[in-house]
Amino acid sequence: MTTQTTPNSISTEQTFWNDVREGDLIAGYDLTLDWTKMVEQVSGSQDFYPVHHDPEFAAEAGHPAIFYNTGWTQAALCRVVTDWAGPGGWMSKFRFEMRRMNIPDDVVHARGKVVGKSDLDDAHGLVELEVWLENDRLGVTTPGWATVRLPKRA
Amino acid sequence: MVRVEGPYDIESVRGEWVGRKSPVVRGRYPVEYDSIRRHCHMVEDTNPLFLDPEYGAQSEWGAVIAPPVMTRYFAGAGVWPPTSDEGITLMRQVPTRGERNINLNTEWEYLQPAKVGDHLSTQTEVIDIYEKSIKLDPRAVWIKTEMRITNQDGELVAVGTNTLCTHRTPEQVETEEGERPL
Repeated sequence: MTTQTTPNSISTEQTFWNDVREGDLIAGYDLTLDWTKMVEQVSGSQDFYPVHHDPEFAAEAGHPAIFYNTGWTQAALCRVVTDWAGPGGWMSKFRFEMRRMNIPDDVVHARGKVVGKSDLDDAHGLVELEVWLENDRLGVTTPGWATVRLPKRA
Repeated sequence: MVRVEGPYDIESVRGEWVGRKSPVVRGRYPVEYDSIRRHCHMVEDTNPLFLDPEYGAQSEWGAVIAPPVMTRYFAGAGVWPPTSDEGITLMRQVPTRGERNINLNTEWEYLQPAKVGDHLSTQTEVIDIYEKSIKLDPRAVWIKTEMRITNQDGELVAVGTNTLCTHRTPEQVETEEGERPL
């Protein structure tokens, strides 16, 4: 059995530890990297390193195009987790690897999967997630891993 | 990064820089609504925990909180007006072969949320420096740092490690290695 969230919606409903199963998929959401989105990544991250917005600068450094920055990348992955966890969940650990680039005109799919769960205390349990960004050119560009503390059903 | 042209001794750089810490530096501003709103905008996040003061007040946190990945942002100085971010300054002082850089791996442990109004501080330590080849540069220099972020009460909010890959331009590699990468 898999659990899927509604793409591009945020969940204000609580996910409870008891209901989560290893293998559950998190449907996540999609983002189209047009030039407006490029400007939003600079605004939202306040990362003005030109390799993320200046095609000539990126080319001079040997890159095929500008690529989306760390702030945008971690925000995109974090949203997969926080949408899924609900208001009483807490992402206690998070790591990710920027292995490949997301560049203009990519359509990025942000997804996740439950890969483990363990008991914590009377009121909470822990869930291990794999989350990732993928695009249609390269497949998975940015794998990530999160530990989420979820409440138990009373 | 401070680009070293000519001989570069990675062991000497490691010996001099691994273990160096920045001072504890307070973020320029407290955690604030509008920076969170801009952050959410870039990934179309409409989560009311991050955006709605009424919803936040009624949540278990009692206030709007920042998405966990914004913790480092609020512990920093921001980019304008220019100022010295001691953590970034520390990293930029490390001697490297190239001045170009790519942020690669980031890992965080979040111990508690940063709420609107909290005022965060950070201290950064260089914990490793090593050489590892990438397509663009056969002798890229990687810098690993640890950041400890605390709130206005001195409570630990988050601990993070970051790995930055520094590299030369293809022209610099060709000049210094005798062969153009890629």
